[in-house]
Amino acid sequence: MTGETRKNDADCPEKVILVGNPNVGKSVVFGRLTGRYVNVSNYPGTTVEITRGEVRDRGRLIEIIDTPGVYSLHPMSEDERVTRDILMAEPGSTVLQVCDAKNLRRSLMITAQLSEMCLPMVVVVNMVDEARERGVMPRIETLGAEIGVPVLGTVAVRGKGTDRLLALLPGARKSCVYIDYGEVIEGAVSEMEALIPEESPIGRRAIALMLLSGDDSLSSWLAAAISEGRIREMNDVRNRLVAHVGENVAYLVNQKRLQWTERLLVRLGIEEAGKSPHGLAQTIGRWSMDPVYGVPFLLVVLFVAYGFVGLFGAGTLVDLLQNRLFGDALIPAAKRVSEAIIPWEILRDFLTGDYGVISMALSYAVAIVLPIVGTFFFFFGILEDSGYLPRLAVMVDRIFKRIGCNGKAVLPLVLGLGCDTMATLTARILETRKERLIVTLLLALGIPCSAQLGVILGMLGGVGLLATVIWFGIVVGVIVLVGYLAAKVLPGESSDFIMEIPPIRLPQLGNLMVKTMARIEWYLREAVPLFVVGTVLLFVADRTGALGFIERVSEPLIVRVLDLPPKTAGVFLIGFLRRDYGAAGLYRMAQAGMLTHVQVLVSLVTMTLFIPCLANFLVIIKEHGMKVAIAMALFIFPFAIFVGAVVNFAIRHFGIAL
Amino acid sequence: MTEYGQDEILELIWSLRESSRPTRETILRNTQEESPESLLDELAAGGFVDLSSDEIRLTKTGEERARGIIRRHRLAEVLLANLFDLEDSQIENSACKFEHVLSEAVTESVCTFLGHPPVCPHGKAIPRSECCDKIRTEILPLVTRLTDAGLGDNVRIVFITPKSRKRLEKLSALGIVPGSRIRLLQRNPSYVLQIGETTVAVDRDITDEIFVKRT
Repeated sequence: MTGETRKNDADCPEKVILVGNPNVGKSVVFGRLTGRYVNVSNYPGTTVEITRGEVRDRGRLIEIIDTPGVYSLHPMSEDERVTRDILMAEPGSTVLQVCDAKNLRRSLMITAQLSEMCLPMVVVVNMVDEARERGVMPRIETLGAEIGVPVLGTVAVRGKGTDRLLALLPGARKSCVYIDYGEVIEGAVSEMEALIPEESPIGRRAIALMLLSGDDSLSSWLAAAISEGRIREMNDVRNRLVAHVGENVAYLVNQKRLQWTERLLVRLGIEEAGKSPHGLAQTIGRWSMDPVYGVPFLLVVLFVAYGFVGLFGAGTLVDLLQNRLFGDALIPAAKRVSEAIIPWEILRDFLTGDYGVISMALSYAVAIVLPIVGTFFFFFGILEDSGYLPRLAVMVDRIFKRIGCNGKAVLPLVLGLGCDTMATLTARILETRKERLIVTLLLALGIPCSAQLGVILGMLGGVGLLATVIWFGIVVGVIVLVGYLAAKVLPGESSDFIMEIPPIRLPQLGNLMVKTMARIEWYLREAVPLFVVGTVLLFVADRTGALGFIERVSEPLIVRVLDLPPKTAGVFLIGFLRRDYGAAGLYRMAQAGMLTHVQVLVSLVTMTLFIPCLANFLVIIKEHGMKVAIAMALFIFPFAIFVGAVVNFAIRHFGIAL
Repeated sequence: MTEYGQDEILELIWSLRESSRPTRETILRNTQEESPESLLDELAAGGFVDLSSDEIRLTKTGEERARGIIRRHRLAEVLLANLFDLEDSQIENSACKFEHVLSEAVTESVCTFLGHPPVCPHGKAIPRSECCDKIRTEILPLVTRLTDAGLGDNVRIVFITPKSRKRLEKLSALGIVPGSRIRLLQRNPSYVLQIGETTVAVDRDITDEIFVKRT
């Protein structure tokens, strides 16, 4: 702040919080306001954390806060709680509610709750185009007068109307909506209100209703703000109400809000419908989750993915960058330069030797990882923005039930094929701890990230189809088996599968590019330092003789149990840092003819089951705590080597020729 | 309580007739009434049963009375089993009480409400009545689980019997509440519903808890 306290013309809010149902375009609006990119996708619940950004309006700085989508501000899941809590934690903010024009009913349910919170607000009715296309566009001209706050219709993805957003904000005011919940509940509300301190962060009526609805997520706020005696009185008020109307207070309250919404919608009316084309998009949407057409549709998607990521990204682009750019041009050039200007051999080796930062770390990061990860994220972006992923969730729901999750787990698991670390963070969209743990474990254990997958498929391609099939079978088998067992062993419940299916939309190339770039940047920023660290570590270990020591110490395991050459120890060591980098090490060994076909398969199976990378491990600690992370590591590493040993033994015992 | 006892005996004769032959001996073996012999005599005196031969037969009036009892009992079973998911023992207990108290008008409403079900949960035939015949063209039940609703049919939610409060709240936040119009789009691989412009996929155990009426 500039220190000016211009109370009278302080018409511009300092903080604006974006609130709305899932998948109504809050993140797009956020992007339009701040010029900052946050993950925008056509998948309900992709924003799992609050994001902050800034916008300057006539010299004043406004902070914009993006929140996870909510179905209700009476929190039912972790992300809904995040949103409610931010509203309580940032008093004095203005709320910008983003609504979906074609689902205004549900959006207005949130409006009702925001009104009770007594926060100054404005309402943006987004996706006007989709509502008009379907002939369900409500007349919103009178909506502003009805709810007493400024209202604006937009198509945020196309930037229609969003230029008027900033000018709208100073007009924010508290809504005049008041819903009467009937004598009995209202009586309890006023009793409860009297017990809540006057200087509470949001309207007391809202807090009273939350407490009466049995919202136990408020308990930490209560403990801090209210004395124990009062809390007991509050419980008495609630218990008396429950004795009167039954447990389902929240439901009764919701019914009243719904009735208010229905009446309001009738008053608003619907715009004259234009033509309502039941277009191609809807047909694709239906087919993609049809019990019959859905499966071939999925196969086509996989085939296109393989063609784009596997053949084009991992084949053409990698070949171009690795062999042409790095192999023929950059590395020889770097060697010549370093020989010309660097007098010390050790430094030359450090940069361009066998374990050199340029020859190994950078060439690997840029030449192999970048094209594969880039093409994968681009393709994933298409899946996400088109709305296919929720439909995939519908297809796999019953299978995922077997491993203690439901269809919703498909988003983190598929994203894990791009980057396990990113996916582990996304596991937050799952509702129960049990589901989050299972998905985190499966990501860490069995889902290879795109960089690793590219390298692995490249190596297996050199060995043959049978090896590829065996590798694939083992990894899928391990995922299913461990998931199944984890579902049995882990305490807790799985959540209901209730998933909103967004309409199929044509992905916007602009958003797609921005998103892909953001993810690539994220990936490289996380991965490249680890490549360099790993390379330096290996270089130092090689020079000091530690590498030889590790090779000797791990020899019984590596050589006797897994039948691999001692040098593999160093590669596995890097595999602890980054699984894909380790895989790349194996790739070099295979290219140098140091590995037999059986050895390639055994080492790949073992490496695939390792924890993906140090960053992933750190994220597991962050999300689930040190104890869980260590328990997972203690399970995963021995288990990976065990499976490798079994594969080795089985192939040799049965004399399978690869 | 002789009327109550008489009802029980008539009911027993009807059920025995479905599987074997009702004789004095089998009735005495299967009944839980205290003085079945005298109840049988009462029924005979009232002209409900014919005791003249070894196999006990229902007279025309007896047949009609028994039919009503069986019908009420089995309809009650369907009501309790399908709608309220009660356990078998509880169903039996309550159904036994229902059969004595339901009036003809209420029975017809229940029958219509359930869609004139042909059999009870145990698979035994429910005697038809006029109400079933009158609506022969529309045999579809008035209220069904959403699971059994026709694909693409417009239906209205009558009530929801959710397992947990959380589930009820979640559904209501999506607009899935009694009174709202809904369409079942597909059953496999998951159940997909359409409410207004919202499409939602859910598990079968959820559609099982949503009861709908055709509009």
